[in-house]
Amino acid sequence: MAQPLTTASVPTDIYGGDEVSALVLDAGYCQTRAGFAGEDVPKSVLPSFYGSIKDTNAASGSRNVFGEDYIFARPDFEVKNYMSRTESIVEDWDTAVQMWESMLLDRLQPERRQTQPSKNGLNDGADGEGDVSMEDAATSAENAENAEKPLAESPLLMTEAPWNQGKAREKAIEIAMENWGCPAFWLSRTPVCAAFAAGKASALVVDVGGANTSVTAVHDGMILKRSIQKSHVGGLWLSSQIRSMFDSCDPKIEIRPSYMIESKVPVDAGAPSQAILRQLNHDLHPSYRAYEDERLLTEYKESVVEVWRGPGRYSNPGNEDLVKTQPGRIFEMPDGSNQMWREQRYRVSEGMWDETAQLPTASEEERITKAQTIPELIRACLNAVDVDLRPNLLGNIVVTGGTSLLNGFNDRLNNELMAMYPGMRVKLHAAGLTTERRFGSWIGGSILASLGTFHQMWISKKEYDENGAGIVEKRCK
Amino acid sequence: MSGQQGKWKEEQVLVICPGSQTTLAQLGCSELTLPSHRLPTRMFKDPDTDDYLPYHTYKRKKATAAANGGGDAAKPEDDDEFEYVEDRDSSEGAIYPIQRGRIANMPAFLAFLDHVHQLLTTSYHNTPIVLMASPQWTRGDNEIIARFVFEKTKTPALCLMHSAFAAQYGLKWLNLTVVDIGYEKMDVSCIWDSNLVAHKSLDYFTPGLEAGGNVLTKRLHELLKDKGFTLDMCEQLKRSPLAEVLPYVATAKNCMELPEEEFPAEALAVEAPKMNEPTIAAPSTAVDADGLDDKIADEGVLDVANIVTSGNTREFLAKKEKEKAERAKAKHRKAQEAEAAANRPARLPNAKRKTNTFHYEETVHEDVQVPLSNGAPKIEPVAPSATNGDAASVAEPAPKVEGDAAAAPVPPAAPAVPAPTGETTADVLPFAPEATGSVTERRTKRIRRDIEVGLERFLFVEREYIDQVARLIYTTIQSIPELNKRPDCWNNIVFVGNGSRVRGLKENVLQTMMSRYLISPSTATMFTSELPSNMATPTGTGSQTPTGSTSGSLPLGQLPLPTTSSVNPLLQAATTASLGVPGAATADAHGSHQSHAQTPTSIKMAQLPNYLQDWSKAGYEEAHFLGALVAGRLVYCMHPGNDLNDAQRLSSLSRVDYK
Repeated sequence: MAQPLTTASVPTDIYGGDEVSALVLDAGYCQTRAGFAGEDVPKSVLPSFYGSIKDTNAASGSRNVFGEDYIFARPDFEVKNYMSRTESIVEDWDTAVQMWESMLLDRLQPERRQTQPSKNGLNDGADGEGDVSMEDAATSAENAENAEKPLAESPLLMTEAPWNQGKAREKAIEIAMENWGCPAFWLSRTPVCAAFAAGKASALVVDVGGANTSVTAVHDGMILKRSIQKSHVGGLWLSSQIRSMFDSCDPKIEIRPSYMIESKVPVDAGAPSQAILRQLNHDLHPSYRAYEDERLLTEYKESVVEVWRGPGRYSNPGNEDLVKTQPGRIFEMPDGSNQMWREQRYRVSEGMWDETAQLPTASEEERITKAQTIPELIRACLNAVDVDLRPNLLGNIVVTGGTSLLNGFNDRLNNELMAMYPGMRVKLHAAGLTTERRFGSWIGGSILASLGTFHQMWISKKEYDENGAGIVEKRCK
Repeated sequence: MSGQQGKWKEEQVLVICPGSQTTLAQLGCSELTLPSHRLPTRMFKDPDTDDYLPYHTYKRKKATAAANGGGDAAKPEDDDEFEYVEDRDSSEGAIYPIQRGRIANMPAFLAFLDHVHQLLTTSYHNTPIVLMASPQWTRGDNEIIARFVFEKTKTPALCLMHSAFAAQYGLKWLNLTVVDIGYEKMDVSCIWDSNLVAHKSLDYFTPGLEAGGNVLTKRLHELLKDKGFTLDMCEQLKRSPLAEVLPYVATAKNCMELPEEEFPAEALAVEAPKMNEPTIAAPSTAVDADGLDDKIADEGVLDVANIVTSGNTREFLAKKEKEKAERAKAKHRKAQEAEAAANRPARLPNAKRKTNTFHYEETVHEDVQVPLSNGAPKIEPVAPSATNGDAASVAEPAPKVEGDAAAAPVPPAAPAVPAPTGETTADVLPFAPEATGSVTERRTKRIRRDIEVGLERFLFVEREYIDQVARLIYTTIQSIPELNKRPDCWNNIVFVGNGSRVRGLKENVLQTMMSRYLISPSTATMFTSELPSNMATPTGTGSQTPTGSTSGSLPLGQLPLPTTSSVNPLLQAATTASLGVPGAATADAHGSHQSHAQTPTSIKMAQLPNYLQDWSKAGYEEAHFLGALVAGRLVYCMHPGNDLNDAQRLSSLSRVDYK
């Protein structure tokens, strides 16, 4: 049985790990991260969005390309995602395998692919973008047979959302063992990894990611299943709030991502843009536009949006007036139009805390209920665990995920929790380094997989052969 | 063991910077010179064994000068019929171990390393190596290289150095965005406070996305192949000052303003490139000594220093050539307007001329039967080594003893590129110091042709190419997770790699980025009616304001405003902004919190050092080599007092540590 690590046994020197180059793979809705265990940042971080190019030669009528570099304005191009937005688990397994292979093999250790020179993309020079090494599903299956187990030397640790289902977990181990021939495999829950990354075996993990926010109690390296809370209040939801705000502005603010702009001219704030638009002589798929919009909104979130720090809600009387007296922030759109944002930048993020403050959303699904706000998620999570554990969890709250980097987020969270649990000791642990926050669960996985003691935990190939895929349910609790 | 360190002499450090086409190498790092050796990064399969040879080698019938091609250094073989011939210039069957930055053929690469090592070093056990590694080299690659270096050679210490850092060492800036445009790849690395904070590239790992200088050559060829241009000609044209990227003009079609027809009699010039009958530079006339150099470069990545130095040469030659051509024209052409046409544009800069004359230099090898007296071969091997450092380096060690002896002690300072006054020596570079009787001798002739080139020389760099470069730089810098690090990276952009040598390319990329991405601080608010009246005194309630939010109020430059000041803050904000104090800088200076702001508010190229004359003249496109030299000194030769600091010890791997 997996013997979880206690805090005391976590070695301080995380880089003194073993010699085996274990791989760590952490797939989320917005990004997929992969790298070698023992390193402090993932070597390869790709958007989980991938490009699908129409290709009449390919069997399926299209071929896939992975990596941000490929996602630019081009004809017959569609942007897709292999993960499910609502669940942050794999939706399209065929593509997932391609994507992971492109990361774990092509990008991290291309020498493993050298066995079949016809496939490694080197000989494709002539036909340009012809058969790039990201094969379609058919060839990759054949590939797997040919390339006698490309990952035969690397144990693999994958992370999964805490609500991941049995079938998906079995599928993951099957791919690792059957397709890639990994000698050892482990599946770890993202909150556990995030807690490890913060150096804790027990913690309340608040993970505010791109598509989802989850709150999970981790005790001694195990998640408490009943405590898992999740909602779609994440980066993408915030983007939709911003869109809604842009729409309600007068005049309406149009989102024009930078690919549309040839060059811009400085204009006065609030004045219409005078940019020269780029002439594209082909049509673009709306999904590409959506992807680029999101990129722009990300920049907006980074540089403008802020969380009202409290105390109290932003909608409390007086707060907004106060903010109006503060200097605002200016955001310049790629087309040159710019505007000062003052109170609005607090208002868009307020919905995360106060469902009554959210802006009208396009669809009913986007709308959040009271139970889906972050404070309520935490309350629900704590209510689901043993009363005795609560003080400890409140004293060890790990905040992770890219959206938690919003300015003022931690202050607000702290204030909310103090108000909710007066008299309790509330302590937040949020990594100071941006990368550690964004890649929290990957880093935890990296630490875990590089520990000497972790060797006893892996599911080995032999065990898998004896027990079948079901072993993952038994072992990786 | 670490006591060992600091004991190496600067003359003994071997510096190798491999590229996918040309490798720069030098023994000794005492002077920060231009690289003394440029070798084509290629190997050849031995026809009989599985080994790799540094030159194209083939068998041919002995003595009877039968086969095609030419031969040097003939080695008698067991059976009298055949001999092995090494052809130094041929690239037939060449294996290029590095493809798009990545080591695609490890055995060949190791053999190449070994070759370089043998070629340059005189003693084995005390020559530490600085080897520049591309970001594309994987962990496994580096391990294999380290194993090879320590187990197959007697190298005492190895320092593998990331190419972006090498460039940084050469340019001495703490924060830097290194844009490395190579032969078929492009890397953008952001270094902040000497840490790599972001990196993106178009290379081996992005099949299907082409980048680098070779794309341009191919494109040029596409445009000009109807007019009889070969790839080689295009490569030369691309390197000549004729090929140019015109300045960015957002409003123009394709964002550049092509020169208009300046004179009516243009028709003559447009009618397709005239090959003025080749003026054969007969053995007596000008062939500059960089003949060999050129040849190497022809295959190679855009050679470099050559262009710059020989830029002078060419201008000089061009003038002569022009005179000659004009004299010839006077005879040939009946039409007087043609003369005028040729003359008038000569005064205009290249960018304003619709056509221009391109002097194509071709090297022609021919095998000549030379009856030899016995004395001759003794002299000949010396000739190349005397004229040209490269010739010496190429001189192969094995058979000719004297030749090699002469070649070995090439002083490291020997200029890689011979003196610009090219009119020297050696039109014939003989390489056949063998035997008596008749011998096949290779003669290298340079033929110069004047070719008129039209607008293609501006059109070959397409918008997409520039866009691609600009976009990659933009996305890389914007992908730095910490917002406060971005401005520094935007303000220190440097282009390295010989793919960036194309005239005007850097400027155009910069202009493109400026007009597309720059966030102009002054536009943001200053004098608009948008400003609410209550803005004037923002500080009254300042106690409530979290630091982060104020420091983020970027473009206004609000932060430093004195609260009690009677000066209208708006006015002051406006004046400070107009003084060119960018808001970002003021906010950063406070540094209390991440400055939340958009970037870039300014885009600048990093200032290049001007204390190294050679480099300033040759350009800093090979700054990574310079950096590797600097690193060699720092890592192996500096004596920082008695206690060797850890940083220095850890910067290289010594043999003892390896074991």
